[in-house]
Amino acid sequence: MEFFVTIWRMSTSIPPDETIPAKPAAKSRVGVPLLSPALLGRLERLELVSRKVFRGRLKGERVSRRKGQSVEFADFRNYVPGDDLRLIDWNLYARLDQLFLKLFQEEEDLHFYALIDASESMNFGDPKKLFVAKQLAASLGYVGLCRADRISVAALGPEGRRAPVLRGRASLHKMLAYLDSFGSGHNVSLHDGVRDFAMRNSGSGVVVLLTDMMDKQGYESALRMLVGRQMDVFVMHILSPEEIDPPLRGDRRLIDVEDGDNAEVTINAYVIDQYKETVKNFIASIKSFCSKRSIVYVPVRTDTPVETIVTKYLRERGVVR
Amino acid sequence: MSWISTLTWPQWLLLGAVPLGIILLYFLKLRREPVEVPSTYLWARTVEDLHVNSLLQRLRRNLLLLLQLLAVLLAALALLRPGHRGETSGQGRSVHLLDTSASMLTADVPDDASRFAKAKRLIGERIDLMNDTDQSMLVTFNDRAEVLQSFTSDRRRLRDALARAEVTNRPTDILGALKAADGLANPKRSSEVGDVNDVQVADALNADLLLFSDGGFQPATEFDLGNLTPEYISIGRETVANLAITAFSAERNVEKPSEVQAFATVINYGTSESSSTVSLFVEDSLIDASTVSLEPGEETGVSFTMDSEEAVSLRLVLETKDPFMLDNVAYAGLTPMKTVSVLLITEGNTPLELGLSTEKSAKICIKDVQFPSYLETDEYKQRADAGVDDLIIYDRCSPETMPTTNTFFIGALPPNADAGVAATDGAESVSATGDANVADGVSDGVTADADSKGWRWATPPGPVVLIDLDRTHPLMRYLEVYSLLIFSGRAIEGPPGMSELIDADVGPMLCIAPRDGYQDLVLGFDIISLDEDGLTQANTNWYAERSWPVFVLNVLRYLAGAAEASGAPSYRPGETVRVRVESALEEVQIGRVGTELKKMRPGPSGVVEVVDTESVGNYRVEADGKLADLFAVNLFDPRESDLGALPSVDLGYEAVEAVTGGVESRREYWRILLIGVLIMLAAEWWLYAKRVA
Repeated sequence: MEFFVTIWRMSTSIPPDETIPAKPAAKSRVGVPLLSPALLGRLERLELVSRKVFRGRLKGERVSRRKGQSVEFADFRNYVPGDDLRLIDWNLYARLDQLFLKLFQEEEDLHFYALIDASESMNFGDPKKLFVAKQLAASLGYVGLCRADRISVAALGPEGRRAPVLRGRASLHKMLAYLDSFGSGHNVSLHDGVRDFAMRNSGSGVVVLLTDMMDKQGYESALRMLVGRQMDVFVMHILSPEEIDPPLRGDRRLIDVEDGDNAEVTINAYVIDQYKETVKNFIASIKSFCSKRSIVYVPVRTDTPVETIVTKYLRERGVVR
Repeated sequence: MSWISTLTWPQWLLLGAVPLGIILLYFLKLRREPVEVPSTYLWARTVEDLHVNSLLQRLRRNLLLLLQLLAVLLAALALLRPGHRGETSGQGRSVHLLDTSASMLTADVPDDASRFAKAKRLIGERIDLMNDTDQSMLVTFNDRAEVLQSFTSDRRRLRDALARAEVTNRPTDILGALKAADGLANPKRSSEVGDVNDVQVADALNADLLLFSDGGFQPATEFDLGNLTPEYISIGRETVANLAITAFSAERNVEKPSEVQAFATVINYGTSESSSTVSLFVEDSLIDASTVSLEPGEETGVSFTMDSEEAVSLRLVLETKDPFMLDNVAYAGLTPMKTVSVLLITEGNTPLELGLSTEKSAKICIKDVQFPSYLETDEYKQRADAGVDDLIIYDRCSPETMPTTNTFFIGALPPNADAGVAATDGAESVSATGDANVADGVSDGVTADADSKGWRWATPPGPVVLIDLDRTHPLMRYLEVYSLLIFSGRAIEGPPGMSELIDADVGPMLCIAPRDGYQDLVLGFDIISLDEDGLTQANTNWYAERSWPVFVLNVLRYLAGAAEASGAPSYRPGETVRVRVESALEEVQIGRVGTELKKMRPGPSGVVEVVDTESVGNYRVEADGKLADLFAVNLFDPRESDLGALPSVDLGYEAVEAVTGGVESRREYWRILLIGVLIMLAAEWWLYAKRVA
């Protein structure tokens, strides 16, 4: 309990003498906590799902490709000199008079990466898309931390290089501190950000990409790169309601917050319809791209509560269970 | 399909700039409100979709522009007035003759206020039908012709000229208008036709002669139409009910000058029996009325009698409603008694001077009093010869020769040119001659008979008792003289033709006799006489009687001629009226009764020419606030009053049949185009609102 209070104080900077809620929130940015105590409680009961079996680094709770010591039987094999005599199945030797070794499944940790697109376009909406992305990343990270997985929550781009690799529930405050430490501003394209991540992390695992996909260079190369690293890829496409149905009308000069690009548009009902159609096609193309490559695509609206997303949508799509 | 441009070239250029302006406005950079978006990625793709190279998409984007341009185009088309015209003029040149005479005021056409309004409308339609190459001219005519617009293809000028045309109260004479048209269509040679060296001054130009009239004019048979192709557009119905006053005059009764008799002629020009009340007004007061009932074509006379000594303005009104009201009223005036100039030659006669100065006498008399010595002057002789005065009164004196004017001798006799015994030296000599005559008359009646050709005294002076009076003579009107006392008087004998006005016991005491167109009145007794001491004595008490000023007034009225009043002359509308006034007057005021009088200056001979006589009515001429003359303006034209529109008219040597007045009207499409403009604007607005919404 004390641990949570500490984390909450760090993130909200509330003086210690103030009244502390029964189950404090984990982190807040502008007065709104990233993870509420209620959500933390629910997240503790969840588990990250990997559709693939990876080799871990340390002993953990996940079934590994490696054979090792656990209670779960895996296989038999002939004895070769040098094998550990403790693994010989003596019952079989008594029956068949041959030496066999009894092999068990090894249980190791899971590598979980949450990549947050921190480009300027994510700093949009109410709540901001970046905030929602951080909430989701923190949620999934906390789920992993609770399951002794190897967690790395990182922003794409230069901020990602200082992202800590975390393990164990006690690392939650580090993760939140990191999430709190960066904002939007580094306009790194998806491709560059993912490549940077892939070059720094040779291992495989589960990777969740939290992005709005608004990259004029395209998202395809980035996703291909992750798939090529034999990772189990999840894409959480974060869009604000204003992007799906813009409340704009009349003669406007639209300024791209990322590159300052201008688009002069006379927005009327017809253009809005066209825009919606474009958004629909855009989402459909991403969905199609992902399904072809076994990538799980999860659309996320920023006006949907994080609790609902994590406990309902992500569950439905098999990201957590 | 034909087009009539309603704008001038500069206006068209201005209109042409409107679509250019609209397009320029579209090209202008719209000031757009900047909005930050997370990415223009999707917007760019959306706009890209809109930018697909499809004509429809482009059109769709610029639909507002297209609609605006279409609206301007439709407006321009509407301004061009596209339409379908019926028939075209064969010659491309037309002369419109518009009848502006009084009969065109008739309100017998169904759709228009009057015949004139209909004719104007028809000409207006013809002008609208003109092509740009067509030329037309407009001539109006009543009793004179006026070219309102010579040949032009400018429809605006023609329309302006048509708007200037006004109907008048005048009678009709078409010949002037035909000559005006003829002068342009049939150019004349500058000299004799046979002259080989002479050429036509201009090319002959064929033209259509369009006559808009009711045909109420003198047939213009003595006229060669030449290159003119006549067309007679008959305006009005052929049978129109109309009661008309065609004559109206007023005269004073010669024997009883205060009695006024008014005569009028009323004619029924309609085709059915008609009756009406005829009312006579004097200065807006109803005096008398009568009823007339007339069969078609019948005419009747109406007379009224009334008493009035003053100048009067009479108005006769037919109390009936018919399409032509101008001839239902007639005006007449009676001129006032004129002012007479009287020369009184006396040594002093206060009663007479007082009699000439009474209020009524002063109105009509300008007197000049001189002593008998004045008779010797050259001035008198010139005056007597010229007949400047209307009456010369010789009180107890007598001139050498009779003046060329009327005379009144009091106690004296006119000189007898043949008798040789005329009283040339005043009362004394007369008295002496008179005594001689009396002696002769008493002793030898033959001698008296021989001298009876001239004036002479029949008896010596002595007391006189008046016994008879000729009341029928104007001079004796209203007189009662039996109570007069006359101390000394003499009977008179006069020339042949003499009338005895007052008889006394001794013989005629007041006589009047004609003399070369003038009249001489001789009174046998003095009013004032001198006694032996040269003191003034009253010879009679007449001057103290009421009958004295009445007698003097009668003398002024009927001997001096002040009562020579007759009916004021009547003129036709538009006629120039020459009014003769006294040349001494510097300024007179002339105008129609009921309107403001205009000041005019008489010419050197005392003649004023009045040209502003367009309206019918009584006209007054005033000098120094006193009525100087009267005249009336009346239509009195049977041709104008006979309203039936003629089915054919004689123009030149041919009879031209009437054609239907209606011109095949042009079917215009500008209204449809204007509705199109409104629809375009509405659609543009709706589309704009939809897009912006």
